[in-house]
Amino acid sequence: MQMEKSSPVVERKLTLTRILNAPRSLVFKAWTDPKQLAQWWGPTGFTNPVCELDLRVNGEIRIDMRAPYGTVYPMSGAFREIVEPERLVFTASALDANGKPMFENLNTVTFEELDGDKTLLTVNVRVLWEGPEAGPALDGMNMGWKLTVDRLEEYIFGL
Amino acid sequence: MTDQLSSTFAALADPTRRAILARLALGETSVTELAEPFRMSMPAVSKHLKVLERAGLIARGREAQWRPCRLEAAPLKSAAQWIEEYARFWEESLDRLEDYLKKMQAQTHAAMPAKEKSNANGEE
Repeated sequence: MQMEKSSPVVERKLTLTRILNAPRSLVFKAWTDPKQLAQWWGPTGFTNPVCELDLRVNGEIRIDMRAPYGTVYPMSGAFREIVEPERLVFTASALDANGKPMFENLNTVTFEELDGDKTLLTVNVRVLWEGPEAGPALDGMNMGWKLTVDRLEEYIFGL
Repeated sequence: MTDQLSSTFAALADPTRRAILARLALGETSVTELAEPFRMSMPAVSKHLKVLERAGLIARGREAQWRPCRLEAAPLKSAAQWIEEYARFWEESLDRLEDYLKKMQAQTHAAMPAKEKSNANGEE
């Protein structure tokens, strides 16, 4: 199998929003201070033994996520845009055993002030490319899934 | 290699095709029956069905006159799984961010003079 980069025919993307009960400057800090990011990045039960952020445009991101059962998922990326405290754009890739990226996502995070002390957070994830190894890598973090066409619509098409 | 997931998503990009899949999720049916609610010509429906068939999202029976259409679950399952993986990562990360911010603010409040404490209900 070759590591060919295939560009998706149709954009594969995902948008999530969340209202956080904290002022936006604080939320922005939680995303950009590596010590803070390490406290919450990743699914339930994961820790981040390595979390390095070079907070400037083109600055590198290096995170090792450790699953509760011990497997380490290394990832890397780079900042593309930093507009404190309202916008953060960065790429992210999961790395294979040889440190090669298996896919690359572009993440756009916006922080909007709500009622002065709350923050509307929007995370937009867009797949830039995916290698053939990406499937099994994602399967590694497998869990139960529910299939309905509605749910697909909700996430892909934002309906 | 052909990217199955991409052709699945391409096929899913059209609302009529998603409606056709939603209908087929209820059970197999004939093309005539499928065409009815969409007020479309048979050739137009056939075109959509061909796209869905090429993407492996539906199969059409070979039996006699009314080649029934039915949903093929596997590619749809992969697409849903792909989304679920990402959604899970982010939903759970954001849950944790929420908890983290709550704890951090509680700590900050705890370190403040008494009058500021009204909202800080000591976690754990």
